[in-house]
Amino acid sequence: MSVVPATPQGKTSFKEVDPKTPTVSRVASTSAVQSSPHYGTTRRHSLYGVEDRVIIDAGSRIWKVGFSGEGRPRDVFYAGGADEVPLWNLTRPADAAEKAEQERILEVKLETCLRSVFHDSLLTDPKARKVILVEHPLLPLYIKDMIARILFDNLQVPSVSFASSHLLSLLAVGRITGLVVDCGHLESVALPIFAARPLFPHLRTTPLAGARLTSHLRALLLLFGTYLPPPTSLSAAANIPAANRSTRVPQEVLTDAVVEEIKARCCFVGDGLGPSNNDTRDITPGDESSEIDLPPSDSTQSESDFSLAGRDSNFSSHRASSEFSIISNPRVPAVDNHRGEGHLQALATLYQRHSTATELQMRVVPPPSQQTGTGRGTLIIPGWVRERGAEVLFEGGDVDEGSLAEVILDSLLKVPVDLRKTLASSILVVGGTAMLPGFIPRLQHELLRAVAPPQTPSRPSSRPDRPDRPPLPQYDPYASLRPLLPYFAILNNPSPPAATTARAGANAGKAPAFSPATMAWVGGSLTGSLKTGGVEVNREQWDSADAANRDGDGNADISVEVERVQIVLPDWTRSPLPAGAPSALSNPQLMSSPTRMASPQVPVGA
Amino acid sequence: MPPTVDYHCPCLSRTTVPPPPHLPSSSHSFHALHTLFFCEECDAVRCNRCVSVEVSGYYCPNCLFEVPSASVRAEKNRCARNCFMCPNCRNTLSVVPSDPPDPGDGRLTIPISTIGEPPFFLYCNHCRWDSAEVGITFEKPTGLAAQLQKFEDSAPDSLEFERLKEHFEPVIRASSLSSSTSTAPAAHPSSAAHSHRRTNSITAAASAALARDIPGVSKYNPLARSGRGGSSKDKTANRDEMPEYRSRLDISSASSLGTGGGDADVDSMRHLENVSEVANLEQRWVNSWATSLQTADLKPLRIPLHSKRSKRCPACAHILIKPEQKAQSVRYKIKLVAANYLPAITAALPHQQEAANPDAVKRTLGKSTTVAADDDRATAGMHAGKTYPFHLALTNPLYDPIQVRLTVQRVHAPAPASGRASPEKARRPPFAVSLPSASFPIAAFAEAWEYEDDEDDDMFGLDDDDEFGIAGRVAGREKDTRGKIKTVGVLEKKANVTVVGGEVVIGKEARGNVKFNMLVSYTYRSDDPTPSESNDAEGTVSKAAASKPPETKTFAFYTVVDLGPIIPREEPRVESDF
Repeated sequence: MSVVPATPQGKTSFKEVDPKTPTVSRVASTSAVQSSPHYGTTRRHSLYGVEDRVIIDAGSRIWKVGFSGEGRPRDVFYAGGADEVPLWNLTRPADAAEKAEQERILEVKLETCLRSVFHDSLLTDPKARKVILVEHPLLPLYIKDMIARILFDNLQVPSVSFASSHLLSLLAVGRITGLVVDCGHLESVALPIFAARPLFPHLRTTPLAGARLTSHLRALLLLFGTYLPPPTSLSAAANIPAANRSTRVPQEVLTDAVVEEIKARCCFVGDGLGPSNNDTRDITPGDESSEIDLPPSDSTQSESDFSLAGRDSNFSSHRASSEFSIISNPRVPAVDNHRGEGHLQALATLYQRHSTATELQMRVVPPPSQQTGTGRGTLIIPGWVRERGAEVLFEGGDVDEGSLAEVILDSLLKVPVDLRKTLASSILVVGGTAMLPGFIPRLQHELLRAVAPPQTPSRPSSRPDRPDRPPLPQYDPYASLRPLLPYFAILNNPSPPAATTARAGANAGKAPAFSPATMAWVGGSLTGSLKTGGVEVNREQWDSADAANRDGDGNADISVEVERVQIVLPDWTRSPLPAGAPSALSNPQLMSSPTRMASPQVPVGA
Repeated sequence: MPPTVDYHCPCLSRTTVPPPPHLPSSSHSFHALHTLFFCEECDAVRCNRCVSVEVSGYYCPNCLFEVPSASVRAEKNRCARNCFMCPNCRNTLSVVPSDPPDPGDGRLTIPISTIGEPPFFLYCNHCRWDSAEVGITFEKPTGLAAQLQKFEDSAPDSLEFERLKEHFEPVIRASSLSSSTSTAPAAHPSSAAHSHRRTNSITAAASAALARDIPGVSKYNPLARSGRGGSSKDKTANRDEMPEYRSRLDISSASSLGTGGGDADVDSMRHLENVSEVANLEQRWVNSWATSLQTADLKPLRIPLHSKRSKRCPACAHILIKPEQKAQSVRYKIKLVAANYLPAITAALPHQQEAANPDAVKRTLGKSTTVAADDDRATAGMHAGKTYPFHLALTNPLYDPIQVRLTVQRVHAPAPASGRASPEKARRPPFAVSLPSASFPIAAFAEAWEYEDDEDDDMFGLDDDDEFGIAGRVAGREKDTRGKIKTVGVLEKKANVTVVGGEVVIGKEARGNVKFNMLVSYTYRSDDPTPSESNDAEGTVSKAAASKPPETKTFAFYTVVDLGPIIPREEPRVESDF
C-alpha cells in the first residue's frame, strides 16, 4: 500500500518538478489514510510487518539508523570505519580527475555503509523497507544523489523520503515552529521553521562546529598539554619523578581517536567569561587579533565586540613564560606558526584565570618512534583546556565564521519582524557537539551577551585618520533585536535561567529530554510512525527517470545525467525561486511539512 | 607482503574494463577470489558489493538459539534469553548467584538448591563489572531478558515517544481531512472559516488538556498584526495554531536529576578526577534520552542477533549462496563460488623466495636480527631501474583442460576521457611487464591419485615448446644456476597447475607499487564427455555452452597483480630506516 505523506501537502506537489506523478500518489495516500485512520496508532497489528520504515540519519562521521516508531536508534556507528575519517568535508578538489576519484571513493564508502545498515545493523531486507533519509539542509546534492542511487540501484528499496533534519528535530520536541540550530561536525546551521515550513532562505551557517573544536583542542594540547612517556623499566617509574620525565606532547600521540575521546569524555563548557574583563575590551583590539587570521578591516572591530580572545590580547604582553604546566618552556609546535601560537598563549592566560576544572591524566599509546618503554604513556590535560576548549565555538572569527550566537541572531534578523518573537522564544539546539555538558546554557548566555547593549566605548571614537569627521556610530548589528532580549528561550536548555517573561518561562527547558544528538533521528522515527515523512520518491519514479537517463543520449554525458537525476530528487535548493527578493513565507514551494497546519496566510514581514 | 592477485567485479562501473590500478579507488573493484561468487545464468562474477542479500534466519551468536522472525521484531534484534554484554568491555556476562547467607556459627552452609542463592546478578569475567552495581538483580537465573522487559517498556524515551505521537496524530488526521475536502492543493485555504473548521477538528480530537489552548487559537485573526508593546495577552504566542505540547519529562527537570548536560553535569565534569569515570561516546550514543555521563550508571546490553544470509544475483535473482538453516551448521545448501569456476592465480617473486630461504647463511654471519631484516628487505624488495622475473601459478578448478591467455592491460594506457590523461601520458610508464603472449594449457582438475602416472609426461611435454622453460624452472628451484636464462614463458606444468614466468622492467624514476591489470581469458571445450564424477556445476556450464554452435567457450576476466612496492633508486636507505 502506498503510505506516501499522509498529509497530502507533499512538497512534490508544489515543487512543480513533475506535476504528474505526485498528484497521483497524493490522492492515493489520502484515501489510504482515511480508510484506516488508526493505522498508525496500533503498532502491534502485525508481528512480521515491514511497514516500519527505516530511518537513516547519515552524517559525515556518525550515522544513526533504526526503525520508525521506536524511541531510539537501533544502531549508531562511525561511517568512516574504525579510523573515524569523515566521509566528506567542506572542501572538494578543484581538479576534475581528483574530484572524480574522490567521488568514486565516497560512493564506495557510502555503499559500504548503506549495505551494512540493512545487513548488519538492522538485519532486514532492503527490498521490503521504505526509507526516510534525514537530510541536512546543506548536504551537498551530489552526495544526496549518490545516496539515492545506491538505495535504489544497489539495495532496491521501494521508496526514499527526504526530511529536513531541522524540522524533524523540532517535531521531536512536539513543535512545528522554532529556530533550530544544528551544531554538528562540519557546520553549525541555524534554520528558522514556521508552521513546519523551513524558511530556507533565512538559513545561516558557520564552520564553527565539532571539527573546528577538534582542531582547536589539538592545538591547545600540543602547546599546553604534557606528555609523560612510559618509564623505560618498571623500576624506573618509582625512581624518576614525573616532572623529570615530562615532555611536550608528540603529535603522533594526538591521533584523531584520542582527541575525539578527550572531546567526549573530558571536555565541557564553562560559564561565560563574565563581565569582569569588560574593562579591558577595546583597548588594543587590533594588534594581535588582527594578526591571527582576521582581515584588517572593520570586521576586526566587530569581532572585538564578541570575541574575548581579541579583547584580552593585551594580557599576552605581560604573561610569564611558563606557568601553565610543568613544561619549562612552551613548546613550538611544528604545525602552528608563531602568530597562532601567540594567539593561543593569550587565550591560555585568559582561560586559566577563568577555570577551576581539575587536571586530568589519560593513558595514551606512545608514538612508534618512542616505543621503548613499558606500557602506555600519560597525557596530562590541563583543566582549563577541558573547560575552555569549546570557547572557540562562541568566539566569532571573520564574517564568514560567525560565532554560534551570531549565527542564530543573523538568522533571526532575516526573519520577518512579526515572527521574531515567536522564534526567539523557541530556539532548539541539536547536534552532536551540543552534547557537551554546559553547551546549551552557555549558548543562552552568549545570545544575551551579544544582544545586550554595547558598552560605551572607552576610547574616543573619532577616527584617527579623519579627525574632522564625526565619530562613527558604534557597530551594533543586533540593535533591532534588543527588544526581544527578555524573550530569548532555548527549548532544550537543561538549566534555564530565571525567566523574565511568561513566554520565555513557558518555553525554556520545556522540551522533552531527548538528547540533542539524536533529536533529528527521533523526529524521523516519529514521522515514520505517523505515516508522513518528507517528500517521497518511489521506485517507479526513479526507474523511469533512470531509464530516461540511459536512453536519452547514448553518449552518456555526465552533466546531462546529473540534471536528469535532479528531476527526481526533490531538494529545496532546486525549487525555483521567484524573481527578485525571495519572500519565503508566501512561497508555497517551501512547504515540506509533514503536517500541513493551518495558517492559511502567513504574514509576510513588513 | 607477498604479491597478491585480486579479481575484478564490474559492478561499480558501467564498463567491463577495470579502472587503472594506480587509482586508490580501484582497489574496491577488485576482490580476493575466495570472496567472489559466480552466477551461472548470467555467466558473470558477482561480489559482495553487488549481490542482494536476504536474511534466511536469525540466531544469537552467544547461545546459538534460532530466533523466529516474529520475536526478532519484538525484541529489536536482540537476544531475548539470557545473553548480555558488559557495557564496559563488551564481553559476555555470566549469571552468578549471590553468596550464601552466613549462618553465623562459622560452619559452611550446605547449598539448598543447585542453582545458588537469589538474588542473581550478571557478572563480567573480564573487567569484573557486575550488574548489582547498577541495581539490576534477578530472582531466578533464567529468562533474564523477560525480567528486564518491564523496565525497558517503561523507558522514558518510549513513553515520551508515544506521547508525541498522540500529540501529532489528531493534528495530522485533521489536516488530512480538511485538505481532502479542499479541492485544489494550489488554492490557498485562506478563509478564516476554513481555519476555523480545521481547529474544530483539532478540538474534537485533542485531549482535554490540549483543548485549553484552542480558544485562543480560534480567535486568532491572521490579518491582525500583533501588538508588540508587551501586552498582557501575547497574541504571537500561538502563531502556528498548534496546540502546545507538554512533555512528560522535560529537560530542565531531567537535568536536575544529574543528566542532560545541565549545571549538575558541568559541576561533575569540573571536578572530574579520572577520565574513566565518564562513559565514552560509543557507550552513550545509542541513548536518545538524556542519560548520565557516569560510567557507573551504564546498564548491561543485550546481545545483538546475527543473521544467516543467502545471496542472490542482482541481475537474475538466482541464489548464489544459501546456508543451512540451523545456527550450529556451517554448511551451505547452495554455493556457487567463483573459485569453482575461475582459475586461481597466485603470484610469486623468485628473488624474494631466494632471499627468504637461505636464512641459514645469514645466521652464520652473526648479524643482529634487525640488520638481517634490513638486509632481507633490501634483497627482497624491487629496486628502481632493475629487472625482475615473477611467476604466476594458475590452478584449474574445472574438470576439463583449459587454454589460458594472459594479456597485460597497458599501464596507464586506457586513460579516461577526463583531464587526467595528458599529465599521465607525458610521464613514461614506471614499469613494463612482459608475459607469454601465446595461450597455454592447464590440465583438468582431477583427484590426487589420478596424477601419478602422467606427471612426467607433462613435464617433458614442455620440451617441445620452450626448452628455456625448463631452464627457468631449474633456476627458480635451484639457486646455484646462474647465467643468462629466459624467464618469460611456461615454466612448469604439474597436475592442474601451470606456472608461467613473466618479467617486469622497472624504470629508473619509478615509485609506488608494481601493480598492473591483467586480462585472463580461458577457453574450455564444452563438448567433452564429462566424467561421471563431475559436479553439477560443471555440467551446467557445459550444457549452457552446448546450446551454442561453437564447441568451445571462452570466459574472460580481469585481475590486478600487485607485486609489491618499488624501492626508489635515489634514497634506498630512507625507506628502510624510516
